[in-house]
Amino acid sequence: MKQNSEQIIDKSLKLTVCFFVASAGLWLLAAALLAYISAAKLTDPFFLSSFEFLSYGKVKIAQANAFVYGWGGNSIFAVTLWVVARLSQAEARGKVIVLFAGFIWNLAITFGLLGILDGHMTPHEMLEMPAEIWPALFISYSIIAFFIIVTHRSRRNSNTIAPQWFLLSSLLWFPMLFLIAWNGLEINPARGTVQSVLSMWFGQSLIWLWLTPVALGAAYYIIPAILGRAIDKYYLAVFGFWCIALLAPWSVVHHLEGGPVPMWIPAIGTVMSIAMIFPIAVASTNFHSTAFLDISKVWNSLPLRFVIFGTLSYTASSYIGVIFSLPAVAKITQFSIINDFHFNQRVYGFFSMIIFGMVYHILPKITGNEIAKGAKSFHFWTSAFGVLILLLAYLIGGLTHGVLAQQPSLNWASSVISSILPYFQITELAFVVLGFSQLVFVVNVWKAIIPNPFAFFTNDDDATNSEVSA
Amino acid sequence: MTKDTTNNHQPSSMSDHDMVEIHSKLNIEKHPPTKGFLVAPLVFVFVFGCLIFVCSIQLAHSTNQFQLHPPTDIVVLTEEEKETARLDRKVASGKKVFGLRCASCHQANGLGIQGQYPPLAGSKWVTSDPALISKIILKGLKGEIIVKGEVYGASAAVNMAAVPITDREIANVTTYVRTAWGNAASEITENEVSLFRAESEDQVEQWTGTQLVDMFPSVFSN
Repeated sequence: MKQNSEQIIDKSLKLTVCFFVASAGLWLLAAALLAYISAAKLTDPFFLSSFEFLSYGKVKIAQANAFVYGWGGNSIFAVTLWVVARLSQAEARGKVIVLFAGFIWNLAITFGLLGILDGHMTPHEMLEMPAEIWPALFISYSIIAFFIIVTHRSRRNSNTIAPQWFLLSSLLWFPMLFLIAWNGLEINPARGTVQSVLSMWFGQSLIWLWLTPVALGAAYYIIPAILGRAIDKYYLAVFGFWCIALLAPWSVVHHLEGGPVPMWIPAIGTVMSIAMIFPIAVASTNFHSTAFLDISKVWNSLPLRFVIFGTLSYTASSYIGVIFSLPAVAKITQFSIINDFHFNQRVYGFFSMIIFGMVYHILPKITGNEIAKGAKSFHFWTSAFGVLILLLAYLIGGLTHGVLAQQPSLNWASSVISSILPYFQITELAFVVLGFSQLVFVVNVWKAIIPNPFAFFTNDDDATNSEVSA
Repeated sequence: MTKDTTNNHQPSSMSDHDMVEIHSKLNIEKHPPTKGFLVAPLVFVFVFGCLIFVCSIQLAHSTNQFQLHPPTDIVVLTEEEKETARLDRKVASGKKVFGLRCASCHQANGLGIQGQYPPLAGSKWVTSDPALISKIILKGLKGEIIVKGEVYGASAAVNMAAVPITDREIANVTTYVRTAWGNAASEITENEVSLFRAESEDQVEQWTGTQLVDMFPSVFSN
């Protein structure tokens, strides 16, 4: 009975989830390519220097946007659609309209990135895509979010659990953040300091209130689902949720330490960052005390291995983030490449790893096609290796950079830049490894969705009917 | 009933239906029944208490009382330093007035032009009695005078009636010329200038050199 109802739900989601996962994969490859180009330009300034549209400032920004909105946005839709429908025990609604909105979303990002490469950026962090495309992005997002909420409203059990809190609130937090920032930056531009505070606040909050809750919600879902046990100390989860909701948007302003803003802004940011230890401790207690009860099973299940890598990375990197928010440390690292460490640990080491795990969990269920274990394993090890050396290079390189930049007596080009150059070369290598790893991921995904490209359209029904329970 | 069948089918994983049921129940019960007390909540309460303490200290020390501007370093000046700073400001202001109103004739170096405009540097007309220089500026001067042994004023006169200048500006500019270019005379205050203005109220025309020599015999006696 129940298997059947889950199958019906999966079938109702097949088209939309496959579409979002497939396009997320393509954006991931685009972002990987751009990441490699921007890393290569740091080691060799003449790399591709004859192409004006590939100058460093454009490629770097395009990479961040492709990663967050292309890969992040699409995979968030896929994961949220599926988990919310599954937990609601209800079929997904508005299939065709969601698919259409998904097309608009991806089309808008394509034009947005072309706009960035053409030099039509706005100056606001993570809102760099040209102003014209934001209404399209916002409307398509709202349509998708609306139908996910409709699905959630028709749930069987009126009680909600942790994955639902995180996924649905992130669904609502993104438009809230966007409207506040867009109003304060473009519609009624705030004057003076407020504008730069707002711009920076949006860019950081986007990661904390949009990407992070989705990854946490996914982990809260997949850990009990695969391990077959309830989350340990689950009573803490609600506390962790509200702590993130209340503290995260305040904590991000610690990045303004030493900036030309009233002193209380970075001071509050630092305090709230320290207070972020609460939700970090809660989430990692929940995840790890559940997972380590049955660690061999975690190790043997590839999706869960990805997720636990992500949650461990979340714990470690968030505590490191707290240390770097302390004024004494921030003074040294403020203007170093440590910022790349923060961005990459959050979007690669934490968010992406959990999404990879989720995709490997979801895809076999909705397409009925298993993904080869060797390919998944290759993807895991290359990703883990790539992320680790990337983060270590940025962390150690960032500290070196910060400490050396504090000494005005040093010659900039010959002492400071030359001593961080090796770290740039390591990141370049890491991006190559990650690029291959992501190529394998995308091939895995596309093979699962379209096992036989030429027979896909004719044998669609056969593929769905031969459902295999994992 | 469905719960059992699924659990038998897949003892290793949890269906979504069960997940919602179990966790909803956990959320209502808060914690599983245990003997004694739970260690984890106590640890959390202790750690969070410490964190709140640290955060409050940090907030109290680094928010600058939620002021808009950062604190300026508070410098405590002695009376002497304050006096020097005040005099420096006064002289700087007087220098501006001098550049605007006086330097075109008396020159920026205070040496004047030989035979035409008398020098101010080293002139006892400037450095002697505060009343003398103040009154000249208040009313002007015409006719021949002798400065540092040379005759001036045959062709030029200064008509101060046409120049709007306040007592404060006079005090500043006289203080400047009395201390610039090697002059080392005393400061002139605004109140003194007001007093001199009142004293010279009866004088309608510009002063003449002989008039001033009569008024200040002590200056010109030697």
